[in-house]
Amino acid sequence: MSESDQQLVLVARTIARLRAGIVAVVSAMVTGFGLFAATLWLVIKGGPTVGQNLGLLRAYFPGYSVTWGGSLIGFAYGALTGAVLGWSVASLYNLLVRWRSNEK
Amino acid sequence: MTSQLGNEPTAIIGAGPAGLTAALELGKLGHEGVVYEADEMVGGISRSVVFQGCRLDIGGHRFFTKVPEVEALWHEILGHDLLVRRRMSRIFYRDKFFDYPLRPVNALRGLGLIEAARVMASFLHVQLFPIADESTFDAWVSNRFGRRLFEIFFKTYTEKVWGMPCSEISASWAAQRIMNLDLVTAIKNAFLGGGTRNGEVVTSLIEQFFYPRLGPGMMWERCRDLAASHGIATHLRSRVVRVHHDTRRVNAVEVEGPDGERRLEPCSSLISTMPIGSLVCAMDPAAPQEVRDAATSLRYRDFLIVGLIVERSQLFPDNWIYVHSPEVRVGRVQSFKNWSPEMVSDDSQSFIGLEYFVNVDDDLWSMSDDELIALGASEAQTIGLFNTDEVISGIVVRQPKAYPVYDAEYEGHLQVLRDWLAGFPNLYSVGRNGQHRYNNQDHSMLAGLFAARNVTGMNFDPWSINEDLSFHEEVRRDEVEERRVIDRLTPTRAEVGIAGLLQKAFARYDAVALGGAVGITASIGLAVITLAMLVVSDKSFVPMLSLLGNYLFGYGVSWPGLAIGVIEAGLLGYVFGWVTAVLINLLIRGFERDLERRLAILTTLEALDGGSFERK
Repeated sequence: MSESDQQLVLVARTIARLRAGIVAVVSAMVTGFGLFAATLWLVIKGGPTVGQNLGLLRAYFPGYSVTWGGSLIGFAYGALTGAVLGWSVASLYNLLVRWRSNEK
Repeated sequence: MTSQLGNEPTAIIGAGPAGLTAALELGKLGHEGVVYEADEMVGGISRSVVFQGCRLDIGGHRFFTKVPEVEALWHEILGHDLLVRRRMSRIFYRDKFFDYPLRPVNALRGLGLIEAARVMASFLHVQLFPIADESTFDAWVSNRFGRRLFEIFFKTYTEKVWGMPCSEISASWAAQRIMNLDLVTAIKNAFLGGGTRNGEVVTSLIEQFFYPRLGPGMMWERCRDLAASHGIATHLRSRVVRVHHDTRRVNAVEVEGPDGERRLEPCSSLISTMPIGSLVCAMDPAAPQEVRDAATSLRYRDFLIVGLIVERSQLFPDNWIYVHSPEVRVGRVQSFKNWSPEMVSDDSQSFIGLEYFVNVDDDLWSMSDDELIALGASEAQTIGLFNTDEVISGIVVRQPKAYPVYDAEYEGHLQVLRDWLAGFPNLYSVGRNGQHRYNNQDHSMLAGLFAARNVTGMNFDPWSINEDLSFHEEVRRDEVEERRVIDRLTPTRAEVGIAGLLQKAFARYDAVALGGAVGITASIGLAVITLAMLVVSDKSFVPMLSLLGNYLFGYGVSWPGLAIGVIEAGLLGYVFGWVTAVLINLLIRGFERDLERRLAILTTLEALDGGSFERK
């Protein structure tokens, strides 16, 4: 096998790592903006009972409500939750990759 | 123009530490010689620039050596004019001063409790999750000190000095500079003193040094006079523009004098301290093309200093301050009065030097002196040293090629030059730029001594002078003993090979690991939100949460439902993660195949063109 072919094999065997910080930030932005947009949409749409179901999230996010101000609070909570989830997934993934590569 | 060989003197290019030491040694050994210096004063980068009764030291030169012969020479040249000075230096960061070398209590006090907690958290984080690829300076330091401490005490200053991001500086530089220290060792040393974790002896940073009463230039003015008393004259404003040879020996130098006239000066030997690349380019007949290419490939870091006379008798107690704050471009601030009281003639004033590490093509280099003086004064005010209205006057000194840069290719280029110059047994290239080495002046002096002795028939190798790295940095003694090459270290750019880039670009995701990570996170997430509903009194979200039972069969907001839901969420998460990774890998494979196809086309075209294309 030539050197270049060996390098290609090496490339093919390389396992990517996730950057926990970056995944956390991206995940935070997605969930933060997601909850922000979902809240805002319901507020703008209006109606007799605004965001009856979404508002239930206050059980987990104290202070959250389907209002203009609540959208900002929701953004903060969403971002925090997303960051924790993203960071957890990426860190766990890297740990498992390391564990599995040692095992091999 | 012709020259004759005979009892011509030895020509010495450059009146810096290496050149003048060689001149003095030659004179002592009874040989003839002449020194040609392009500048109007002696000392090279160790000269003292006089400005309105004040003296400016370019870069701050501590006189400290482990070479007894050099130390004896300093005393011989200056006698009682060589003062013993205490060292004081600090780091300025975010409006606070930190002792340097760092002391934990002082550092903690400066950082504050919250920042100190962040430093410790960051350190613990890298202990748990170290950066796998340690090939760069930032990763290497972060793994040992934590990311936060790296950002505070290493990143900005290193980037200011070397002009490249820490992520591009090779880790080997850090490994050599910082050796076996890490945060735990540093704290332990600071509290307990002494050795390292492995029981090896660590030498502390020097706390005092010698310094000439009127700055380093005084040493070289005296040395020039001593050499002259031995018959070796120094010609200022005399630039050597060409070095003539007969392919085996150097036989003359062509010198451009103060009047612009060129004259041929025969010589029996040549000791050159000009940049080795410039020397090769000045050789006549010209060096082969590949040698000239190597000569022009060596890189340097340049330097400029803004000297300001300030209407205040004492500004700060330090010899110098490292400025880590990123909001200003100045890298280091000197107070010359603190090096020697006689560097400033009027005791009611201070003379400070603001040092900027630059390249000659930077905007700073091309700014006018007035603009630089204004910038220096403004930055000094920004960091709280004094107000701009206290500045009486200023001067700017530009020093090109102040630091040889050790980039990824320099060793190869330098070897080409050395091999070619080795064909001239009467030519010696010494000194910081003559050897493209980040020497301290004592090592440049030693190389000059060796070159002079070689001229008289002795056999010393200026390229193999030992360096004790404990000159300035903390090092293990056993490693010091092992080192043969003198290198005050400069960083090299981290190598990122094509294979490495491809590996990063086309690395596959581990489907099992991603499945596992998503599964575990989903499982724990569901457990947390369900437990919350089980324990809190507000049950308003329970109906919504129970809807998950449509997907997770048997799940409900109850203890048995929780147990079932956790397992199912884990499995569902695993499948989701696994499928995601497999899909990503398929896309990556597609891109990789496309690249291979393009490479194949390129190879074919190259072959048709009559060339060859090696896939690397």
